Amino acid sequence: MKKFMIILSIMVLLLTAGCAKTETAGGQKTIRIAEQYGIAYAPVQIMKAQGLLEKNCPGIAISWEQMNNTAAIREAMVADRLDAGFMAIPPFLIGWDNGMDWKIATGLSSVPTGLVTNTSINNLAELSEKDRIAVPQPGSVQHILLAMACDRDFGYPQKLDNQLVTLSHPDGMNALLSGGDVTAHFTATPYLEKELATPGFHQILSGNEAFGGEFSFIVGVTTKKLHDQNPEVYAAFNQAVAEAITFIKDHPQEAAVILSDAYDLPEAGVLAYLSAADTEYSQTVKGLQTFSDFMLKTGYLKKSFENPTAVIWEQTDYED
Amino acid sequence: MKIKELFLKPYSKYIWIALMLVAWELTAKLAPVSPLAFPSLELILTALIDSIINGDILMQMLFSLGLILIGLGIGVALAFMMSFLSVVSPVFASFTDTCVSIFHPLPGIALLPLIILWIGTGSMAILFIIVHSVLWPMILNMTAGFKAIPEVYKKIGKNYEFNTLQSIIRIFVPASLSFLIAGLKISWARGWRAAISAEMIFGASGGIGGIGWYIFNKRVFMDTAGVYAGILMIIAVGIFVEDVVFGQLEKNTIKKWGVA
Repeated sequence: MKKFMIILSIMVLLLTAGCAKTETAGGQKTIRIAEQYGIAYAPVQIMKAQGLLEKNCPGIAISWEQMNNTAAIREAMVADRLDAGFMAIPPFLIGWDNGMDWKIATGLSSVPTGLVTNTSINNLAELSEKDRIAVPQPGSVQHILLAMACDRDFGYPQKLDNQLVTLSHPDGMNALLSGGDVTAHFTATPYLEKELATPGFHQILSGNEAFGGEFSFIVGVTTKKLHDQNPEVYAAFNQAVAEAITFIKDHPQEAAVILSDAYDLPEAGVLAYLSAADTEYSQTVKGLQTFSDFMLKTGYLKKSFENPTAVIWEQTDYED
Repeated sequence: MKIKELFLKPYSKYIWIALMLVAWELTAKLAPVSPLAFPSLELILTALIDSIINGDILMQMLFSLGLILIGLGIGVALAFMMSFLSVVSPVFASFTDTCVSIFHPLPGIALLPLIILWIGTGSMAILFIIVHSVLWPMILNMTAGFKAIPEVYKKIGKNYEFNTLQSIIRIFVPASLSFLIAGLKISWARGWRAAISAEMIFGASGGIGGIGWYIFNKRVFMDTAGVYAGILMIIAVGIFVEDVVFGQLEKNTIKKWGVA
């Protein structure tokens, strides 16, 4: 019996050992932010490079966490290892729908998005059952935009759901351009432009066509914990995003220099992406209601909100 | 009966599993954990039953198992050929050795970016990864098994004037069967893991996709209970294959013949 108790207590120890975490000391000015790469996240990079958070909140301890997709950001927030992150509206709503205690703090960007196919396909109807469509993941904004277009064209939003292949933007581009069974790729800047510059490929649907208007591609999200327990840091975070956006608008040249360093891309290319007509950096959250209504109607969400304040913090601008 | 004896029985595995489930449920109920990270057993079972009744989980499981069976078949056949040739020809043996030392430590997932470029993202790509994970451990076990066959057995074959095919079937395979079964067990486990990882990356290659795709889908739609349900299915299949399939195979061959 004694042996048995020893074994059991070792098991309990092992089971609980994984729960230890890097706890942030209460009351201190700390923030843990998910860092992602891409033109759509440009203000985040500016914020980091220019030390805007440090400027707005002296003495703040920032930890930038590398994350490569929104599912990982959500999981890190559930595990209380992350306070703020940037993502598209649909994955945010999925997290909210499943009981995550978080809201949108700010809009961030709208960039060109679109479905690229080889030129033998001219519209959605010509995609056969054999065609495979690469998206970053199911439930991503690209997937929901595709479902919106399918709903409008065929009255069946899930029409192409069984033909999705989950590939990151660069892998998706390689798969499309190599001419294998991936014949379509729903992607965004700068992969979109690279694919369209390749002979034999064209865009059959843009994000705005699918959505039926403009929408925020990326928004900034924070946990309730950060918002409630650390209002000073929360305010500094929003202020820093605002200043980063203003900086990109006022000094695109300098912004391009910073970003081309961070992303290892040619400066002229970055500048072209930043100043493209369809690229807009703004703190206003656009398209929230439309995404939510559509995802509820088609079963990607189980609930919706009466009032947008259920999903955005009080100071956040939004329009629909 | 003493408690200790309980854990020496063949069914001790299930007692441990029951204990772990109790520990799980107590943690989920009593500890301050988020149900998004640590759902209770009821939630997981509800998700599992819902997926069985309303979803495709059984079909997806069959799809994955089917792919692995085909992959195992191809892998074992290739391994058999290479191992036999290695036993017959020392030159070929050095070639096989080189291949094993190059490819055996290479995880299939590391090859993924290349496989996407070579053969795309369909079932063929998953099959390729399964064959890769099955082939090398199988070769290692088979060559070890063939080498361990006592010389006198082979001489008996010569005495009976067996041709090559006969001596393979009647001498080589039965005499090295415990090695072959050990190889099969390792290959099955590797193939199963590789298939699930590949599915989680490639997605619905066969229309509804496999069990890896099921878990991935649950993850991106933040259905944590569903993720655990998928993992439970994988564990259940693993235990079934280990206990029932391989258990029966061993009982009817090497244990019966007394070579194990």
